[in-house]
This record gives sequence, structure tokens and C-alpha cells, in this order.
Amino acid sequence: MFRYYLKLGLLSIRGNPMLSGLMVAAIAVGIGACMTIVNVDYIMSGNPIPQKSDVLFRVQLDSWSPDEPYDDPDEPPDQVTYLDGTALLKAGKARRQVLSYRSGRVLRPEGEEQMPFDVNSRGTSADFFAMFDVPFKYGSGWDKTADDNVEMVIVLSREINDRVFGGENSVGRTVMLNGDAFRVTGVLEDWTPIPKFYDITNGAFNEVEDVYFPFSVSISIELSGRGNTSCWKPVGVGGWSAFLNSECVWMQYWVELHGDDERAEYLAFLDAYAESQKLLGRFPRPLNNRLNNVMEWMEYREVVEEDVKVLLGLAILFLVVCLLNTIGLLLAKVLRRSADISLRRALGASKNAVFSQYIIEAGVIGLAGGLAGVGMTWLGLRGIEILYGQFDFVSNLVSMDWVMILAAVVLAIFSALGAALYPTWRACRIEPASQLKTI
Amino acid sequence: MLRMNNISKVYRTESVETHALREFSLSVDEGEFVSVTGPSGSGKTTFLNIAGLLEEFSGGSYELDGEDVPQLNDRERSRVRNEKIGFIFQSFNLIPELDVFDNVDVPLRYRGFNAAERRNRIERVINIVGLSSRLNHLPSQLSGGQQQRVAIARALAGEPRFLLADEPTGNLDSHMASSVMDLLTEINENGTTIIMVTHEPSLAERARRNIHVHDGRISTDDPNLHLATAVTA
Amino acid sequence: MEIGPIFRALMRNKTSYVLIALQIAVTLAIMANAIAIIQERSRLMGRPSGVDENNIFYLTSTGFAEDFDVRSTITEDLDALRNTPGVIDAISTNTVPLQGGGWSSGIRLEPGRDNESTGFAIYFSDEHGINTFGLDLVAGRNFLPTDVYWHDFDTNRWEGAGIITRAGAETLYPDDPDSAVGKTVYINDDDPITIVGLVDKMQAAWNGWSGVERSMLVPHKRTSKSTRYVIRTEPGLRDRLMPEIEEMLATSNRGRIVQGMRTMTETRERSYFMDGSMIKLLIFIVAVLTAITSLGIVGLASFSVTRRRKQIGTRRALGATRVAILRYFMLENFLVSGVGVAGGAILAVGLNIWMVQTFDLARIAWYIIPAAMLTLWVVGQAAVYGPARRASLVPPAVATRAV
Repeated sequence: MFRYYLKLGLLSIRGNPMLSGLMVAAIAVGIGACMTIVNVDYIMSGNPIPQKSDVLFRVQLDSWSPDEPYDDPDEPPDQVTYLDGTALLKAGKARRQVLSYRSGRVLRPEGEEQMPFDVNSRGTSADFFAMFDVPFKYGSGWDKTADDNVEMVIVLSREINDRVFGGENSVGRTVMLNGDAFRVTGVLEDWTPIPKFYDITNGAFNEVEDVYFPFSVSISIELSGRGNTSCWKPVGVGGWSAFLNSECVWMQYWVELHGDDERAEYLAFLDAYAESQKLLGRFPRPLNNRLNNVMEWMEYREVVEEDVKVLLGLAILFLVVCLLNTIGLLLAKVLRRSADISLRRALGASKNAVFSQYIIEAGVIGLAGGLAGVGMTWLGLRGIEILYGQFDFVSNLVSMDWVMILAAVVLAIFSALGAALYPTWRACRIEPASQLKTI
Repeated sequence: MLRMNNISKVYRTESVETHALREFSLSVDEGEFVSVTGPSGSGKTTFLNIAGLLEEFSGGSYELDGEDVPQLNDRERSRVRNEKIGFIFQSFNLIPELDVFDNVDVPLRYRGFNAAERRNRIERVINIVGLSSRLNHLPSQLSGGQQQRVAIARALAGEPRFLLADEPTGNLDSHMASSVMDLLTEINENGTTIIMVTHEPSLAERARRNIHVHDGRISTDDPNLHLATAVTA
Repeated sequence: MEIGPIFRALMRNKTSYVLIALQIAVTLAIMANAIAIIQERSRLMGRPSGVDENNIFYLTSTGFAEDFDVRSTITEDLDALRNTPGVIDAISTNTVPLQGGGWSSGIRLEPGRDNESTGFAIYFSDEHGINTFGLDLVAGRNFLPTDVYWHDFDTNRWEGAGIITRAGAETLYPDDPDSAVGKTVYINDDDPITIVGLVDKMQAAWNGWSGVERSMLVPHKRTSKSTRYVIRTEPGLRDRLMPEIEEMLATSNRGRIVQGMRTMTETRERSYFMDGSMIKLLIFIVAVLTAITSLGIVGLASFSVTRRRKQIGTRRALGATRVAILRYFMLENFLVSGVGVAGGAILAVGLNIWMVQTFDLARIAWYIIPAAMLTLWVVGQAAVYGPARRASLVPPAVATRAV
């Protein structure tokens, strides 16, 4: 019987090309609009590091002013001071930990052919690469001894390596940043965590840094940060060392903890540390330390633009309108076919049979609408790409993976079936032979 | 009151020309009860549509109540239909979503009467057809005979010059049919002109004059004798 | 006219009409809120930054050579820039309005950390600042060359003069903003700054900041190796001078790189990019939505007309003119649309309340909902006109002939 209904459904669709076309189009447009935004939202709120997102935690210490919180309603700063960062690093209480901050340098290629150019750099402690599963093409990062010995080593991004060394294995070679020479220990593969969760400040979807060198080196060359620096107290006299000793927050601290026990232990450690600082006259605010894992952190920092959420709401309502349209058209179709239905009932079709026939027909329309909807979604994403093309990261946001495609089709079929319920129910209610004489 | 002279109606398609009516002449005076009979395809319905100003004719002249019909534009024809003709259809043609009151009300609205006038007329004609207790019923809640009575009331409400009935009992069983015919006879006896198209000889008998149409022409136009033999073909 | 019977007939066969009314209602809710958002964003985007946007561009100079001397480089560069034909003026500073990144500090009326502070955007400048940015001095005076001082990284003290915007003065001295000139305020807890002048407008770097209109210029030159040069040209010369000046700076000193050159115009575009795109998207959504609802009305109305062919013929037979039939269908749609827009108005308000709470969006202006109601009403009538006209052309003979 399924095949019979399928055949009837296809015949009916073919027999009413305008009406069927309108229905498929309505579903396709609604699905297209909805899924375009859902796609963007899905990628924006996607997990950039699913294999480790619940063992990586961002540390927040409330070292802020007694007069007002860092942020409403009572939030601690999202970055740490030099004093606190280095203290935590030294204590080394977590399985792994990393302290880092973004800066800028001028890279001076050897020889006269290439002009010096600006690079985004990151001074970071050794655990960065292992913690964040950063992929290497050549070589590796550095180890703790390099950190301690302030070794002038450097890791290059794939693009920088391509640009400066033509993509060769440059491990062991020298790179000049401003006046300092660095020895290359590793070159990264293409690495684009979306979003760039470990440092959201400069743009959650920006590219990762071009070069990485030890944190201790960054401090020793007195390299200030290229991100947000917030101070609730003036720095005071004394230049760079005064800045390091100040209450300005400007670096990011992450730890790796496995399991609830380790997490509880570390939080206790943070609280104890805060207490010890209070004895020294710092940390005037009440205890307010935080440990957020990757997804919690991104939600806390509201990585998904509010605009996307608003559009998502509107897109869903849009779909609702399209579905109302579909219900209306399906109802019209059923009423138009009421003579056919009553005849079939007179010839022995049960209510279930009528229901099945029309539900299957609706399912076919839903499937067609879904496939067309995938096409519409693709178009919608191209539109987004054109509209937002200025931002380089956009191309990352507008790709559809199989999950999204499947979601579009499933949504379409379910919507069509949902929309069909009422009209089909009406169809079942038509009494046998009642419609054979009407005005 | 109604004068048709040499009416002809030709339907032209690309390939075929059909003469539905030829040299059709008819005069009806006030108060008459005329039946128009003929086999199917004979042109009865064409005659009905032309008489009722529902269709235009190709040749001849039609004068109704002194007005020359073909000179009228669509708006004027609508007015004439509204004021002078009362239609009764074979399948009642009641509007299913409206109750009895609103159905009878339809032509009165187009007439432009105020609410009080309309109410008066509706109550009066519903009384005549005997359905005063059913004013708020929907057509689906009435029997065939009752629906046709509502249609008759609707036709009478505007006090037309004549009623034009198309197989008025065609969709009714014999019991209901006979009661509807009794009603029509009574209405005619009270002075309303009736022109009735039918293929039922027993119905045609109730009229006082019979016109037999065959192949688009009038074949007989007699005061009503017993026509049981000649009519059906 | 026949509102009573039309309404009663509608009520007896509600479903299709309810569907249309619902479509109209949801469309209205979306339309009204989209318009509210568009209005708000347009308003934000229309705010002037206070600077001469059409003729300003800037670029960053970053020194890297060991012997790079900040002070002499900046002095020489500014000299060269200011003497370039076509350049009105130039300064070395940290940022420009709407850039997205900048410096802000708390300013206090009394020294000491316990006292309240108000956030101001800080622009490092000299006596050429006002002329370079094209600001409007409305009270007091500009900086004098003697006001200008170089920042000392060791002592980190700020002192001397400052020029603030009107909005800043209104926040600090709400009762008498003009009295700000001559007053002393405190930065970094207790470094005194004397306000010597007021400018009309100068926005901060962050367009979404509540304090975006509060800026302070200080005649304070930073000794960082990286600085921004802001250059203002004569009208029409900007595009030609940009590559010339970039080349000039790149070659005049090989110990630094010149990069990040951008116009103020582009800066504004980038700053409001999300808002501008949101507006475009919303317009598109509203347009498509209206089209879909219209098509829905056309489709259902056409179907309804076809289904009621015999009824139309009968009405014509009973005396309805073509116009009367047209009017019937237009009126029927008028009623349905009426219910739809009424429901939609309530939905729109509800949706707006929810959005204001959840997303911190703007409240809808009172006149938008009636305007949207009227628009959709008219759209509905326009959509139904085609089918209604088709209905009016149904010939009266249908009453007797059609089965």
C-alpha cells in the first residue's frame, strides 16, 4: 500500500504543478532562511576543541577594586595580573597550565628581497601546544627548561613559514624579530580553532597568532600586550617593573584538569592563594574565583553575537509563516479533492487509508521542499558570505557540513508532516459520497 | 409584459457553430403560468438564460416590461435581474455558509433596501413558504423541499415581475415535489407570473400554458391540454 | 454593505481564513520588530563622530631597529607630513574615533581613589590635534606648544592641560557644563589635569560604549615605538595623497615599518558593519516574508473563488453587479486582514517586550505598529484584487449551467 499511496501522491503532485510548486517553494524558502542562520549559529557556538573542551579551564581571580566589580553584576576580571599569573605558574598545581599574552613584533626576513613586516606574536609558557592540541608540521614547541632559561626559541605558523622560508623545514634556522634573533624549534600546521577560544579579547573569530615564543622571553624584552589592558589602580613610578608589579590585568591563564576531583582541588588552591594575597594587602574584594571550561567560557563571554540570536528568533518565526502558508495550501488541495476522497471512501477506503495517502503525499512534498531547502540554505550562506565578506573569518562560518544538510531535510519533512496533520485530518472527516453533489 | 421576437442564439467555437435557438418568439402576459418543455439539448436552458438576462442572444429582440433588453449594459442587466426576475434553480443554489434569513436577504442587499425594509420582506416571504420557524437554520439542516422553499422565498422577496424556474422539482422526491408545485400554483393564483422550464410532463401539466421546444424552435405553444403523448422524445 | 452576512459566512467556515489571519499576524509581528531594530541601528549609525571623516586617514609606524629613536622620528615625521602640499595638518596619537581599540581612563573631580570616577576616552595629541581631527572648539582655548610634554615611562605622571567634549563636561558638571573650562580634574587617582577647552563632539573608539561621547585630548606624547599618524588633507586630495605619504614615510626611515593605513570612512564602515548588515538582512527578510504572505493570500483566494464559482454565478443572477462581486471579495479579505493585523499588533508588542528583555533591543516606537498594520492591510487587499477581479468576471449563466 505504501507504494500505491506514493504513486497516488506523485500523480497528484504532478497533476497540480502550480499548487505543489507553491507548497514546495514555501517550505524551501522557510527552511532556507531558518537553516542559514542556524548554520551560522551552529558554527559560532560549535566546540572548537571537542576532544578536550571539558578538561581545559580558564582561571579568573578577583583581584579587582574594592569600590566596584570588574563587570556587572559581580564578575571578576577575565585576565590575570603578571604577579598572579607567574605565581600560579610557579606553583604548578594543575596537571598542565599555561600563561600567555598577545603582542606585536616586526619580522625582518634575511636578505634584501623581503621587506620587514608586522606579525602578531604570543608569549606563552611551554604547555600551550600540548594543552591546546596544536598541530605541528615540523619540529615541536619548547619545554620548561627553555622557559626557565629564557631561551630565544620560536614557533612559526604555517603561513609565516611559507612566507619567510618558502614552506621548507626551517627548524634550527634563525628569525629576526625587531632586534632579537630567535631559533626556530617548530612550524605549525594550519590551525583555525573556531572560535579562537583561548583569547577572545581581540576577536573571537580572528586568525591565530603568527609566531610564538616563551613567556619569559616576552617579559624580558619588555614587550607590552596587544590586547586589553585594564587597571583599577595607577601603575605608579618605575617603568616596566612597576607595570609588572601593578594590578593591571593583561594576560590569560588556562589549566588542564581531569575529573571533578582535580577541579575541586584546584579551586581550593585558588581560594587559598587568594587568601594569602589578602594577607599581603591585595585582593580587596570577597572571594570570587572562577574556573570555566571551554564551552562555559565561551558562553560567559557571549561569543555568539547577539545579532545572530535575534536573527535566529526571526528565522524561526519566518519558518512558522511558511508553514502556515503550507497548511493553507494543503487544506485547499484537500478540499478541492473532496469529491475524490468521498468517492474513495464510498469504494471502501477507511479513514486510516485516507490519512496514510495524504500524509505520504505531504511527506513527498516535505522531502522535495527539504532538498530545495538545502539549495536555498546554500544560497543563503553565499548571501551571508557576500554581505559579511569583509571579515576573513566569514568563510569559516558559511560552510555546510553533512549534519546541517541532514538537519535541513529532516526539518523540512517534519514541518511538512506537521503542517499536513490538520488538512489530512479534515480529509478523513469527509463522509463517503457526501461530496458528489455540491454547489 | 415579456416579449421575445425571433430570438436566435448561436454558439461559435473554432470548428463548430451550434444554433441553440432559432426564430424563437414568445409573448407572456402578466399573471400567466407558462411551462417550457422539451428534450435535453432542445434549447430550454438557453431560453431560460436569455429570458433571465443571464446570457445574451445573437439575433432578434427581447422586450421586458417595456425595456429593450439588448440595449442594457451589464450593470443595468444586473439591476433588471434584481428587480424584475425571481430565479428558482434546480439545485436550489443556496449559499451553504449562510442561514435561511441571510440567504433570502442576498438580493435585497443588492437592491439597497434598509435593514428594516429587508427584515419585513424576508419575514413576509418566509411566512408565505411556511418556514418561519427555520429562519436561523443552515441549508444543510433542511430537507430538499425546504431548501427549495427558501429559494422560492428568496425569489419572491424582491416582488419580481415574474418567477423563472429551472426544473424546480428536479432534485426532489415526489412528495416534496408535489408540495413545491402546490406552493408555486398558489403563488401564481395570487398574481405572480411564472415561467417554468421542465422536462417532466406531469409538472408541465400544472401550468396553464405549455410551450414545447424542439431543436431550438418552438414546436407548439398551446394552452394546456393533456400533453402526455407529444412532449417527451 | 454586507459586512454582517460576510462575517457570519466567514465564521461558519473559519479555517482557511484563520490561517491567513495568523500568517498576517506573525508577519506583522516580525515586520514591526524588524523595523524597530532597523530604526535603532540607523540611528546609531547616523551619529556623527565629530571629526572630518571624508578627509582623514591614518597609518601606524612601528620602529624595530636597535637605534630607532622615537622622539626624533616622530618630530621629523610630523614635520614632513605637515609640510606636504595638500595636507592640512597631522598628529601622532594612539587611536581615532570608531577604531574599536583605544585608551580609556577614569576621571575624578576630587583626587583620591575613593572618589567617583567617570570613564573618558583618551586621545594623545598636541596643539595640532583639533585642526587635524577637524574638531569644533566651542569654549576655552586650544593647547599651546608649551602645554605639550613627552610621557616619562619611569615616573608615569600625567599633568597639565586637557580638552574635553561637551558631553564629557555635561557628565562632570551637569548643572553648568560651560563652567568646566578652568576646572581641574584628576586622572590616575591624583594626577591633576586642567581643562583648558571644550570641543563640541568627538566620539570614542568603541561605538557601543555608553560613554562614547566622552573624550579627552591630552597634550601628551607617548614614547612607544609604535604610533599612529593621523593626517587630514584638503578636500578631494585624500586618495591621491595616501599612497604618496605611505611611500614617503616608508622610505624616509628604514628602521621602521609603515602599515595599517586606513581612511576614517572605512573605519566608520567597519565600526558599524554588523549594524549595516543587520539592516540589510532585516529588510530582505521583511520583503520576502511579505511576498510569501501575499502569495499565500493570492493562492488561497484564487482557490476560494474557484470553489465558489456557482455561488458567484447565483449572486449575479440575483442581481449583483460585477463591482458588487469584486467588493464582496475585497471586503471579505478586509475583514480577515483586519483580524490578522489586530492579532499581529498584540503579537508584535509581545514579541517586542520579549526581545527587549532577552536581547536588550530598543522598544518599538508607538507609530510603527499602526504603520505596519496599515501596510499589511493594503498589501492584503492588493493581493486579493486579482482573484477578486476574476471572481467578478464569472458569468451569471454559471448559475444554471455549471454542475
